[in-house]
Amino acid sequence: MKQTPKEKKLFENFLPGKLTKEGFLGDDTRHIHDIIQADAKVLVQYQMKKETIARELKKLIHIGKQGLESEVETDDYAILVQWDRGMIACPFGEPGLHPKLIAKVKDKGSGVTIRYSQLCVHLVQHHGFFGGKGSAFRVDPEIVCPMLQRNLSSTQEK
Amino acid sequence: MNILITALIVSGINALLALLLVIAERFLANYGTCKITINEKEKLDVEGGRSLLASLKEEKIFLPSACGGRGTCAYCKCQISDGAGPVLPTEEALLTAEEIQDQTRLACQVKVKSNLDISIPEELFNIKEFKAKVDRLQDLTYDIKLLRLQLLQPSQINFISGQYVQLESQPYEKVKESVSRAYSIASSNSKKTHIDLMIRLVPEGICTTWVHNYLKEGDELIFTGPMGDFRIHDGVGEIIMVAGGSGMAPMVSLLHELTRNQSKRKITYFFGAVARRDLFYLDEMKDFKRSLSNFTFIPALSKPLPEDNWKGVGGLITVPLENYMKEIKADDAQIYICGSPGLINACGQVLKKHDVTEDRIYFDPFA
Repeated sequence: MKQTPKEKKLFENFLPGKLTKEGFLGDDTRHIHDIIQADAKVLVQYQMKKETIARELKKLIHIGKQGLESEVETDDYAILVQWDRGMIACPFGEPGLHPKLIAKVKDKGSGVTIRYSQLCVHLVQHHGFFGGKGSAFRVDPEIVCPMLQRNLSSTQEK
Repeated sequence: MNILITALIVSGINALLALLLVIAERFLANYGTCKITINEKEKLDVEGGRSLLASLKEEKIFLPSACGGRGTCAYCKCQISDGAGPVLPTEEALLTAEEIQDQTRLACQVKVKSNLDISIPEELFNIKEFKAKVDRLQDLTYDIKLLRLQLLQPSQINFISGQYVQLESQPYEKVKESVSRAYSIASSNSKKTHIDLMIRLVPEGICTTWVHNYLKEGDELIFTGPMGDFRIHDGVGEIIMVAGGSGMAPMVSLLHELTRNQSKRKITYFFGAVARRDLFYLDEMKDFKRSLSNFTFIPALSKPLPEDNWKGVGGLITVPLENYMKEIKADDAQIYICGSPGLINACGQVLKKHDVTEDRIYFDPFA
């Protein structure tokens, strides 16, 4: 896929050492647009919207923040939020900064644990970007969709 | 077929225009020497063509910046009364209507193309670039290190307790560029030849990984500072401090200052941690207890491990703070908080319940 000079410059933001130590692509060699498209197809399979995923991930961060760095337990999750000094910019070049906040969420039902940053929530919500495969904070739709769906439906049943 | 040919022609023309623009920028856009007048007195001659932020840095005038000049943090705002041209689209999103009216601009986005008249706060002239040597690099906890820097050039620093510096990392492995990150000074401002920083390892953090895994005692590095307005304020009432993790740093500096001034004020310091392994500087707190007549240090563990055998205060740091606020008359107390916005908000709610007005709450957020 051809890139405009602006896109080329933006792409550099995703590489290791630019905004984060290992970057946003991991060992994924695909173009960012291809990563977004492939993950969008997974969302279609699970009939989930990126906005719904972002909203739920944001909710979990909000709950975790109450623990002030201690683990917080809900019926479905164990959540640990770590909030460090400093802010980080969006690699897509949008104005504004995001807190350096990392959530570790364990789904008690399945035992699956995911780790994501506050910036990841923005990337999912506004850009449909879940991270390259192998990147530190990839929110893999194959993992996060069934996890959220299971607990969304169990909450609705309660 | 016709569509394909048309698309190719349009793409070709676009590519040619882009190339012409690059060539013009490279060879024709020579702005020569431009004069920057600061606060109507300081005059600098700089080579045109670079951003105002970079041009000022070159002249050793350091505006705060957290995004490396990418136009996303808006920390480098300054007033430009003449010569900057119209506000750029990249600035519009980060400036309010009042700021635009007030001729505020982002120094990282404004290119120096002609003479400029700018206004910046006077205290920014006190910010210097320092070359320093790593004198000590010591584990305080499993994820916080003490970094003691011996100043080389200039050899002394003047700072107000509570201020911070911006440490410049060096390239390592995949990291090809330097980044600057802010860290509070943890040492006494009476010791002018070195500063202490407390640095927690941030997952995926470029600068903290460099400090924790690559920096060694004896290495030389660069930092700029001092910056920030967190400091002890005059008063006679009790001082209540609340911090967690590396938020300990500015508190230690404030305690040094209170010690040097032989403060008789009642000082109560609540320090929040998860388990015993997150506690540090306990001996130093004992020293402050000996040197300050009315100092109490209250560490609280939110989730002590069984092996911690913790007999002290338990729960989130807001719990002992709340209990304490119930007991005291806090009419003239000042509260100093250093930590994440989450900690500051949680403490703020407690303090609001106890009618502590905002003008007596001072905080050093991690933002």
